[in-house]
Amino acid sequence: MVLDLTMSLAVLSLMGVLATIAGALEDLESDVGSQSNPNSQVQLAPQMSFLHRIYNKAISGEPVSNGFSAVVSGIVTVVLLDSNVYAITSIAIGALVGALILGIFATTSFAGRVSSMTRFKQPLYMDIMRYTTPTIIAHNFIMNFCLVALAYIQYAILGHPFSIPFLALIWGIAAGAVGSSVGDVHYGAERQFQNSEFGAGLNTSLSGQIVRKAESGLRNSIDNVWFCAKFGGPATGIGLGLTVVLSNWPTTVIGYNWTAVLVGFGIVVLMAIIHRIVEVNIRNAYGPYKDHNGKEEAAA
Amino acid sequence: MADESLIKRNKLIIIAVVSGLSGIYLSPYFPALAAIGAIVAVVWGADAIRRVAAYGLGTGVPSIGQLALGMGIVASMFGLAIVGSVPLAGPVVALVTASVFGLITGLFAQHVIKMNIPVMISGMTEIAAAGSLIIVGFGSAAAGSYVFGTFVQNIFSSGIVLVIFWMGAMSILHPFNATLGPDEKQKRTLFLAVSTGAVTMTIIGVAATMILGSAGIITMVIGIVLWLVFYKKFWDEVYKDAASVVGTGLIPKTEA
Repeated sequence: MVLDLTMSLAVLSLMGVLATIAGALEDLESDVGSQSNPNSQVQLAPQMSFLHRIYNKAISGEPVSNGFSAVVSGIVTVVLLDSNVYAITSIAIGALVGALILGIFATTSFAGRVSSMTRFKQPLYMDIMRYTTPTIIAHNFIMNFCLVALAYIQYAILGHPFSIPFLALIWGIAAGAVGSSVGDVHYGAERQFQNSEFGAGLNTSLSGQIVRKAESGLRNSIDNVWFCAKFGGPATGIGLGLTVVLSNWPTTVIGYNWTAVLVGFGIVVLMAIIHRIVEVNIRNAYGPYKDHNGKEEAAA
Repeated sequence: MADESLIKRNKLIIIAVVSGLSGIYLSPYFPALAAIGAIVAVVWGADAIRRVAAYGLGTGVPSIGQLALGMGIVASMFGLAIVGSVPLAGPVVALVTASVFGLITGLFAQHVIKMNIPVMISGMTEIAAAGSLIIVGFGSAAAGSYVFGTFVQNIFSSGIVLVIFWMGAMSILHPFNATLGPDEKQKRTLFLAVSTGAVTMTIIGVAATMILGSAGIITMVIGIVLWLVFYKKFWDEVYKDAASVVGTGLIPKTEA
């Protein structure tokens, strides 16, 4: 299908929006289950005698597990499209199946990890299992829906040569990679170690000593996602959305030529400069931090 | 780790190779059998990962699962394609090629990267071989054939091969990854392996309805039944092995 510039930009912005929502929900889904980087501390805590009531969703890294749920959603969508079901219904049902299967994997990893640390006396809390797993499924459903919709737009409207499951898999891996690098820090460093100085990072001597008490009662995974929804999730969403928009914008507006490549390169350089300015400002505002001997670490 | 093995390694290898290959050869007549053979290969692969990763691979467990299926898919396509006019030899050539890939990777890991894991070489060989059986097994369950032309035509254009690759990798890496810890037990891990394999079989059945129609539904239903049985068995082991399984409650007192 050949689109004029206005329609191309409209499709591009729709893709950007879908990627933004998917990215935000991807990060929150990993935070509900304590996947990826924060998972190591949740796993380590009982060994340091810090028993807790936090979900332990050890389904490999985020790129792998999100690629997994997205590719399953993609294939179920293709099967439904093949039997002439409406696109939006197919995508919704596909996303639901992908999310339910991720939910099944989540229950087995929580139960499996806890029952493999019997010697540390960590109990398996079934109430955590019961109300956190549906939360994981719900977050993952929205992510799958957005990513398969994105793949469908590329396949059906933009005429991409690859199949929907393939595109969904690539988007799942991308969303997982962005979530893992952008959003995780907010949970892994700031939320789990909320009792240490803001932005101080994780000192090795604090390993496993995660915060286990909430404003009221004991902290659980729902408290964590409430915190992460304020910054980590949206930041991840903007990360993935910007990646989609900025990487497609030059070719959409300028066309497939060397000018577009130069513009793309210019965007990368500009971003690097902005990142450096932000980093220096943050270091000046909050640092320098002290290491465990009380000595100051180097500033930016 | 105390190795109170429920099932010995050599026995598992023989069972997996025999049932995996016979399932593949029976796939033109009853595709679900190929998927069942692939589940046995998943159990073998999961057990091989368990033996290699028990040396402290931790975060490397998912990587080794992906590596297995990566080696498996390349070797399988090579094996199925190279035999040309003798398609009957395809699955065996695929299995042998994958084993050689695994052996070379294992030798590199042990002698070049110097990972110093005694079971690395045999483990990598087994993992790659299991990966090849999983790819060809689930693939022929979806395509209804192990002949290269039909196989590629049926499962490549629709993207089913990616589901087989990714879900196959998840099904062999997840069992040990999900039960990682000092009190891991082979029985619980392998029950989980059958369960993850059955989930894969169910989705392959759904995908196969596009190509094989009602045969895909049979694969899907058998997959769901197998999943229900082994998911329950896994949970029985969890109730038996966990320190305590409680509805809710405060954190038990410890010295920290």
